Amino acid sequence: MDEKTEKGSPYVIEMLHITKEFPGIKANDDITLQLKRGEIHALLGENGAGKSTLMSVLFGLYQPEKGEIRKNGKVVKIKDPNDATALNIGMVHQHFKLIEVFSVLDNIILGAEDTKLGFLQKKEARRKVKALSERYGLAIDMDAKIEDITVGMQQRVEILKMLYRDNDILIFDEPTAVLTPQEIVELMQIMRNLKAEGKSILFISHKLNEIMEVSDRVTVLRKGKYIGTVETKDTTKEELSRMMVGRPVQLVVEKDEAKPTDTVLKIDSLTVASKIHKNNAVKNVSLSVRKGEIVCIAGIDGNGQTEFVHALTGLEKPVSGKIELLGKDITKFPIRKRSLAGMSHIPEDRHKHGLVLDFTLEQNMVLQRYFEPRFQKAGFIKFSEVRRYAEGLIEKFDVRSGEGPVTPARSMSGGNQQKAIVARELDRDMPLIVAVQPTRGLDVGAIEFIHKQLVEERDRGKAVLLISLELEEVMNLSDRILVMYEGEIVGELDPKKTTVEELGLYMAGAKRQDREVKE
Amino acid sequence: MKFRKFLNKNGTRSLLATLISILIGLIAGAITILLVGIFDQKLGLREAWKGIRLIFFGLFSDGVDKAGNLLFGFNTTNIGDMLFRATPIIMTGLSVSLAYKTGLFNIGASGQFLAGTTAALFLALKIPTTVVPAWIVWIIAFLGGMLAGALWGALPGLMKAFLNINEVLACIMTNWLAANIVTWVFEGSGLQCTEGTKTQVIWKTAHNGVSNPKFGLDKLLPGSSQVDGGIIIAIIFAVLVYILLTKTTLGYELKACGSNRHAARYAGIRDKRSIVLSMAIAGALAGLGGTLYYLSGTTEFHWQTYMALPGEGFTGIAVALLGACNPIANIFTGMFLSTLDVAGSKLSFFTEYNEYITDVIIAVIVYLSAFSLFIKLKITKWLKIKEPSKLGKPEEIKAPPAENTRKEGEA
Repeated sequence: MDEKTEKGSPYVIEMLHITKEFPGIKANDDITLQLKRGEIHALLGENGAGKSTLMSVLFGLYQPEKGEIRKNGKVVKIKDPNDATALNIGMVHQHFKLIEVFSVLDNIILGAEDTKLGFLQKKEARRKVKALSERYGLAIDMDAKIEDITVGMQQRVEILKMLYRDNDILIFDEPTAVLTPQEIVELMQIMRNLKAEGKSILFISHKLNEIMEVSDRVTVLRKGKYIGTVETKDTTKEELSRMMVGRPVQLVVEKDEAKPTDTVLKIDSLTVASKIHKNNAVKNVSLSVRKGEIVCIAGIDGNGQTEFVHALTGLEKPVSGKIELLGKDITKFPIRKRSLAGMSHIPEDRHKHGLVLDFTLEQNMVLQRYFEPRFQKAGFIKFSEVRRYAEGLIEKFDVRSGEGPVTPARSMSGGNQQKAIVARELDRDMPLIVAVQPTRGLDVGAIEFIHKQLVEERDRGKAVLLISLELEEVMNLSDRILVMYEGEIVGELDPKKTTVEELGLYMAGAKRQDREVKE
Repeated sequence: MKFRKFLNKNGTRSLLATLISILIGLIAGAITILLVGIFDQKLGLREAWKGIRLIFFGLFSDGVDKAGNLLFGFNTTNIGDMLFRATPIIMTGLSVSLAYKTGLFNIGASGQFLAGTTAALFLALKIPTTVVPAWIVWIIAFLGGMLAGALWGALPGLMKAFLNINEVLACIMTNWLAANIVTWVFEGSGLQCTEGTKTQVIWKTAHNGVSNPKFGLDKLLPGSSQVDGGIIIAIIFAVLVYILLTKTTLGYELKACGSNRHAARYAGIRDKRSIVLSMAIAGALAGLGGTLYYLSGTTEFHWQTYMALPGEGFTGIAVALLGACNPIANIFTGMFLSTLDVAGSKLSFFTEYNEYITDVIIAVIVYLSAFSLFIKLKITKWLKIKEPSKLGKPEEIKAPPAENTRKEGEA
């Protein structure tokens, strides 16, 4: 490394006037990003604003049509990821690149193994990984298999992978999207530790709270264009969201008082077995949801919410209990019959349950209604009708994609995948909407949109059952809050009369109330 | 520019990949022939040259003249043979393709083929044509073979759906079950159709006067080939499978279940039923392969040889993969592989070579067809290098289109 140039430029990486085109799209249009040495620099933008493309350019996955990249003031050519690695650039991808059946240590050294006569030399590697994990406060179990450890731990493995390769420019691609609130706190601390040790961090995110908390500067992109770079301490969440979306965004949902009427869903002492341990995941849960209200089940991830929803929607069989929808006992109904009885379901995991990723957008749009006479005749799909329907939904819900209705679902951004699911489920016009973490991993614009939609549905007399892990969403959106802790409903709260702190105490199991289900 | 667009189409690239696989396979075959020719004193370069020409143009081989030179020309017997031999492998190819498109790997086509063969032969030989008209017996045997294949395919499907047993393992098991059951059934059947000087007991449905309709193909392609209406039926089935997979709600369900069982379940599709159904339909297709082949009337069935598994099932995998599991493409890949088969027999007729050299070619092509995805990727890359800015693979695009409906405020 040339000492003089290293001192000469305050920027460790500069991407100047980068332009990258795809057929029909300018994904990056004259974007400039300058990363100072030893700073945490946030890259902010909506889903599809061009953040990932820009990072792919930096990582050598794409070649830009225009612009140049400089490291320490010197122009460099990055033709493939190997070049990026040689320049000590490392990246933690949003979806981890780990081998499930390998141990943590094996994953860290994979691709950079020491060998002697063709045999792995792991002793030295083990020592180095141990030293790194202590230095940066990255607690891991080196011999555990990836498939057995939590997502937060897997992310630490990814970070160690970069450190093991002596990377000093670290890219985090939406690292908090997959984490629980506690893990997010830990990650923020890790990032600060890394910064203190002189690493430069590029932090891609659309979560304003985290950006405000951890970053030094923010660069904002919108629709492939460079909007500006600001010092974090001189800006506000409101200003950032305005830069990102291009208009003022309501961070808090506007809604009137709920006017609940008839009961739509009534659940009586529902108990669901756990797949992980011997105890029941859901214990004796009773609740009801009425027309015109949003009832939210809050709780920390893994307290039985998933199992509860699966039992409610028919994906799993409950051990005992009764589910009544519009006065009909649907406990024994199979999934299709249940959903036709009046239930929409925005699932928790959009890739596992929500979409068939190999299908096109339009095929996914009719996933819940392809069998209706409108879309088929004598078993033959009416393609023109499917197309027309999908185009309608795409326009109504502003689902953006490269090729419209025929875009493969897999190639769409997470936010637009989620919008597609929300569009499909809300358009079914069912009396009950079960929405599980409907805004997970979305940017403020999309969150605002989905929240508005849910409130609108409520005002049209729908019963909405929301399951959420985000405190802000719980407080903003719901008319009643039920807190689930270890499979039980431990409290019913009124969002207007409670505080985030009190809610947190219930969620952590420190507080509980005896309650009777409202009839 | 139009040409570029055409090249950039997914289907075009698949086709190119297949054609490249085939070409490399044929060249590998030619090299094998050359090498064998050079190192074998009996053969020499002259024979090798004959062999190479037969590999490429065997379908148009028209015997030899008095001097031993090869003659080429349009020969209806060859074409007929090619079509006849294509029939069973098109069917097993369809079987593998349909399973593959619905997320299953059917290597049980051999067993299903045998199950179909057994049922069809039994029905065609046991129902006396003196009582029941031959064409009704044919229909019964046809349906029987189809059902037997479906049953044999449904078994691994059931095991996968309800016991979560990998269908590949279950298929290996059902294959050998079929091979042994066939032996057992025919040994104790009391059905004997000995013919002239042949010492083995053989089964031929012509003994009972039952055979596939010809649909005039024997007149269209005069000669001594065995060609019959089987090929027409196979083509009809290819079209039916294509329609099933792309145009129907059933195909939609099967494919949804195949590519994401969880999402299919979420949408209320009965995932277990779909898996069993996919395998049963795949089994029916493979069973029909055996049925159509042996209901030709003149094909001899020797059960003793079925201590081993019939090759048609595995050739079906080659047919399917080479055609990128597209049912329509399977018609052509099936015909192509049977063309090689014909070329192989010409090779042993007119040269000193062994016909099994064509198996080398087929093996190379099958290997390469498994690599066809890789070749496809290479083609994509190569095209990209030629014109980097215009040819992004659509799958890689994450950005939104330039036109969008969101109202633009001021920044």
